[in-house]
Amino acid sequence: MIRVVGVHKTFGPLHVLRGITLEVPKGEALVIIGPSGSGKSTLLRCINLLVEPDAGSVFIDGVHVNRPEVSAEWVRQQVGMVFQSFNLFTHLTALQNVMLGPVRVKGMEQEAARVKAKQLLARVGLAAKAEAYPAELSGGQQQRVAIARALAMDPKAMLFDEPTSALDPEYIREVLDVMTALAREGMTMIVVTHEMGFASNVASRIVFIDAGIVLEEGHPNQIFGNPQQERTRTFVSKILR
Amino acid sequence: MAQRTAEDRKRMWRAVDVALAVVLTVGGVGYAVYAIVGRWGLDQGYIGDRWLDYVFAAWVSLYVTTIAFVIGLVIGFFFGWIRATRSVPLGKIMRDAKKVADAQGLDHVPFPATQIIWHGFKYIVRRFGDAFVAVIRGTPLFVQIVFVWSVLLIRVPTLNPLVLASIAGLIALTANTGGYQSEIFRAGLQTVHSGQVEAARALGLSKFQAMRHIILPQAIRLVIPPLTNEYIGLLKASSLLIVIGIEELTGFGRREAFDFFKVFESFALVTAIYLLLTVPLSRVIAYVERRLRIPGLGIQEVTAPRAPRAAT
Repeated sequence: MIRVVGVHKTFGPLHVLRGITLEVPKGEALVIIGPSGSGKSTLLRCINLLVEPDAGSVFIDGVHVNRPEVSAEWVRQQVGMVFQSFNLFTHLTALQNVMLGPVRVKGMEQEAARVKAKQLLARVGLAAKAEAYPAELSGGQQQRVAIARALAMDPKAMLFDEPTSALDPEYIREVLDVMTALAREGMTMIVVTHEMGFASNVASRIVFIDAGIVLEEGHPNQIFGNPQQERTRTFVSKILR
Repeated sequence: MAQRTAEDRKRMWRAVDVALAVVLTVGGVGYAVYAIVGRWGLDQGYIGDRWLDYVFAAWVSLYVTTIAFVIGLVIGFFFGWIRATRSVPLGKIMRDAKKVADAQGLDHVPFPATQIIWHGFKYIVRRFGDAFVAVIRGTPLFVQIVFVWSVLLIRVPTLNPLVLASIAGLIALTANTGGYQSEIFRAGLQTVHSGQVEAARALGLSKFQAMRHIILPQAIRLVIPPLTNEYIGLLKASSLLIVIGIEELTGFGRREAFDFFKVFESFALVTAIYLLLTVPLSRVIAYVERRLRIPGLGIQEVTAPRAPRAAT
């Protein structure tokens, strides 16, 4: 479903991605771990072209997307993204946040979009909060609305950029539950997270990225239980504690 | 006896608050009128005779200010917007084109002319905008008015003097408010959090859709208070037009004052008219602000913050 081949990205003097290659088959949930600054967020942004790779190719559903002929807007409709800081539109209610994409990008009728948005909010357990503004929601609720907003575009895959890192501990569970359900339903997902419980239960594979390259890749049991690389071992021992 | 709930108490205090405001306002205005008319001997006959002329002069003020302000809105938004964006340097456009050429062969390179023209245009407009704002903010409005007038006087000396002065005055006021408003818009647009745009782009919205549906609705709520300030400031600043012979409210009052030796009456009336214009306007804008207010965005209500209705 998503294939990344030899992707490089530099920001000025900073060589953030140094030839990343990975593949996520349809219906699989891939978890990316790695120290901060290792290029995890940049990699996700390269996939939906919020950041343009300097070299290498990104394929989504078989289409080579980082070419000038392919519109970035089209690519972004194929993959939904959830951010660490939620980024809900402050001036819109939860319902309007979810409706915006279908109405403005896909040209869906207001009423149809409203029905769809209500269903999605119900799916993330927030039917009662449809009329609330983001500032009136807790962090966990905001992040669940953000997931519903991304799902409203009927994406082929979802990217999660540390979705629980900005949350108070009490709200992490509700967001992970929604993500777990999504994975169980067969959504293709790439998740940057340090939630080890989620990673071992839901991920089919874990990729450890350090200094812009894939250092190690494997089944959760292998990465957490028996890492091959010294760097992986150090990192995993730090986050498992 | 019925228990008083918190809601009742709140309602009661609100009533007291309103009553107090009414008493103070009526009392204050009443005393001012009594002092001015009764004790200091305001010539009511003069005011009764002439007030309509003052209203006409006030109309000139409002008219000139509003035209300048509205055109200034367009200028201000345009420059504010361009100055809030980045343009890509020529070198980067060429490097990108070369990169595509290296990777995929020359056939795949879209000719970068449109990009060069667009970013070049933005670059030039931004530099012009910087200079424009520097000049407008760096010189007194008085000087700007006389300067524009003198330029027109040299270039089109045959024009009817009153028409010439009107055009010069409008140009100077418009340019002035345009410069200040561009700073207001730039600040408003740049205050919108970058994550908002990123989220919009990630949904597949184009740059223009993100501007139209995400940035603008948020920025507008941020710029209303400073724009109101600007309008009221401009209304008062328009009195400077007297130096090139345009008689709006202040200028008219000044002439009346010295023609009829009615300085006190004239300026009392001028003061009253300015207040009658600005106070209701502020009230209307405050109402609009309240109507547009959204929790967590821009200026919030002046009360103790309510706990967020969160966490079920």
